[in-house]
Amino acid sequence: MVVTIPLFPQITLRCITDTRFKQNCLSVQFIRPMRRQETAYNALLPAVLLRGTEKYPDLQKITLHLDNLYGASAGALVRRVGDYQTTGLYCSFLQDRYTLEQDAILAPMLDFIRQLLLNPVTELGVFRTDYLESEKKNLISTVESQRNDKRAYANAQLLRHMCSDDAFGLSRLGEAQDIAAITAQSLWQHYKKVLLESPVNLFYVGAAQPGQVADLLRPVFADLQRQPVALPPQTGFSDPPAGYKLEQMEVAQGKLCVGYTSEITLRDSRFAAMQVANVMFGGGMSSKLFLNAREKLNLCYDIGSGYYGSKGIVTVCAGIAFEKETQVCQEIDRQLEALCQGDFTEEELLSAKKELASQLQSVSDSPAAVENYYSTAACSGLGRTPQQYLQQVEQVTAQQVAQAAQTLQKHTVYFLRGAV
Amino acid sequence: MELRDYPLLGEKAYWDTLENGLTVAVIPRTGFTRKIAYFVTDFGAIHRHFKLDGKEYALPAGTAHFLEHKLFDMPDIDVSARFAALGAIPNAFTSYDMTAYYFSCTENFNENLSLLLKFVSTPYFTEESVAKERDIIGHEIDMVADTPDSKLFENLMAQMYRQHEVRQPILGTRESLEEITPQVLQLCHRAFYQPSNMLLCVVGDVAPEEVREIACAVLPNEAPVPVEKLPSEETSLSCENAYGESAMEVAMPMFQLGFKCPPVGQGPDAVLREIIGDLAAEALFGESSALYLQLYQQGIIDGSFGGGFETIDGMALFTVSGDSDTPLQVQQALLEQASRIAQQGIPPEDFARLKRSALGRRIKALDSFDSVAFRTCAYHLSRYDYFRFPELYRQVTAGQVQEFIQKAVDPAHMSMWVIHPLQKEAM
Repeated sequence: MVVTIPLFPQITLRCITDTRFKQNCLSVQFIRPMRRQETAYNALLPAVLLRGTEKYPDLQKITLHLDNLYGASAGALVRRVGDYQTTGLYCSFLQDRYTLEQDAILAPMLDFIRQLLLNPVTELGVFRTDYLESEKKNLISTVESQRNDKRAYANAQLLRHMCSDDAFGLSRLGEAQDIAAITAQSLWQHYKKVLLESPVNLFYVGAAQPGQVADLLRPVFADLQRQPVALPPQTGFSDPPAGYKLEQMEVAQGKLCVGYTSEITLRDSRFAAMQVANVMFGGGMSSKLFLNAREKLNLCYDIGSGYYGSKGIVTVCAGIAFEKETQVCQEIDRQLEALCQGDFTEEELLSAKKELASQLQSVSDSPAAVENYYSTAACSGLGRTPQQYLQQVEQVTAQQVAQAAQTLQKHTVYFLRGAV
Repeated sequence: MELRDYPLLGEKAYWDTLENGLTVAVIPRTGFTRKIAYFVTDFGAIHRHFKLDGKEYALPAGTAHFLEHKLFDMPDIDVSARFAALGAIPNAFTSYDMTAYYFSCTENFNENLSLLLKFVSTPYFTEESVAKERDIIGHEIDMVADTPDSKLFENLMAQMYRQHEVRQPILGTRESLEEITPQVLQLCHRAFYQPSNMLLCVVGDVAPEEVREIACAVLPNEAPVPVEKLPSEETSLSCENAYGESAMEVAMPMFQLGFKCPPVGQGPDAVLREIIGDLAAEALFGESSALYLQLYQQGIIDGSFGGGFETIDGMALFTVSGDSDTPLQVQQALLEQASRIAQQGIPPEDFARLKRSALGRRIKALDSFDSVAFRTCAYHLSRYDYFRFPELYRQVTAGQVQEFIQKAVDPAHMSMWVIHPLQKEAM
């Protein structure tokens, strides 16, 4: 059960008390609209905050402190939730009762989070230049290293082409040139703006009672000057130019990605049906794409589909031999057509529903999954529990799946391949 | 079944050995929805030489992994579809010294468990299906060829090891796949998939006795056939080539540095040695070490920098990897810091903190079903009870860690591989 406690206007704590876990997780997310002029800032900010506080002014003092708190971790948290980008921290730390000498971790950890967020070490009234430059370099290298994972890179490139006019096409971590342009002064201004304006979502899962967590967190934000600004509403997909995109690299295997658009987003009553349709299409080892493109035709090792509910986008990604592009495209078309025609068994439908059900039921069993599910649900403005979601999935009929699949329009084909 | 209690960790485990030799471990998770089962064999990519029925055999590279793919075939049912209908998600992996088959579910646990045990214990290979799988694994080999982390490790192992089978990729090569036939797979299954060579580990809110009963009912109850693995061992710790490099589609140079160490063997001493190795890694280059902080602040390494002590049957490796524009500078700094620790030791306060942090992280990891199941299996194959790790942490001394660094970080046992970005032609 989620307990929601508004700490201050637009600063909301959500808690799940669960004594089964050995750790606590706490996330702090400042919610920003996703827009090109600030994605890089939001991505860089937590990395710089994690470099030093007034009391723990360098990395060594921070890591020693975390080591002493039994290997507690504090890391940057930068999420994309539809048209929003969140910036903040994700922390996990041992429950007090599993420490060697019954040491307290919860209270010191929450106080440490306060210091990280609100008491950064400064130089001439802004962030230290050396910390800033070092974290800029790291973030640029992270952004550029996205091309190392060819499958993820290909899928991101597809989305970038499909959403060239939409916030969803922006890189979650910003563009290298935008990161390079950030100064200590400009990041400091952005930081102050984030603290002043942004809605804040706090999420805690662990053994402590919500009241205790709220009491420990209230002082964190008590003295903060605030003028919260309402976020723009989330939007569906804006009509983008369609097309075909070829990119060449020196690779052994091609990555073929096909993107579809649909009017069904997560606010639509047909959302659950689309999710089931996606699982049947390419969601796992019993999906149509896996069974046909891989098991029957041996065209690939790796093939699957994903559904981005906030925008109504479905993507298919497959690792294939360069010369099989046409054949794989045709096979993907054929399997989607079968789904649209209702050409599937009752067993395929049931299996897909069970797979989704199993995922939803398992959410409560892992602290990280609990945090991710509820934080994202709250941020997207829906706030459905896994159980409510599950009920919708269970009611999906074969006809609804076919109808959901029929809304998919092929939009962009992207192919990453080697030279001929 | 034997009940073992670990009050400090808030854990319990039920253990048993069945008549057919299978070890069963059940780790209860009362009040949780998810249930997972791992069925593993003490057979992985490096086990390429063995004796069965008095005869010696040599396997083509990639056989263990090929077998893992092919066991999902059964004569009468479609295994994946059956799991899906029962609401479970099955998967499998092959490592250098273990093969694991597992599923995760929230309902129909008993049926899913029966199916897991059934398909893994049923060899069914045809010429046609084996030929088809060569294509699919060929695609997988191409995928790995484009995966820089995997290539980095494979290249380093091939450069460092002369005899140990870790020098061959787990998937084998397109050429070695040609030598894998239904007969080869059948032979391996007979040798290494006997219950006496396997472990079943279940994590979840289940009845331990039922797990035992299902295993008894599904698995064959034949007397074990004696099989002897012929060890894959490296006779020398020195590395002929200290450096190698290649180029790929990567954003910046990546390196992996390894130090060959003697194999740790099995049992409590072996696991203690692993923990010493891990603490040595923390002390020398972990996130709170002087070396990490110095190199990070100088911009020579970034958050990708990290490593540990890897042990595989017959070999052990102290290793660190990451992205860096100047890998040789990292290597030099690491050697210098190691000799400093070797001479000066680790201050008691620092050591207590390192232990506390490492122990805290291990306890946090107990929240992950998969981590618990995997580690229980891996430790069991090393002849140790996973949940007893806190005792070993208590035993380790700063002197042991210092001595480890003294011996392990030896330039003569060192080798590095670097993957550079491709040189783009000038436009």
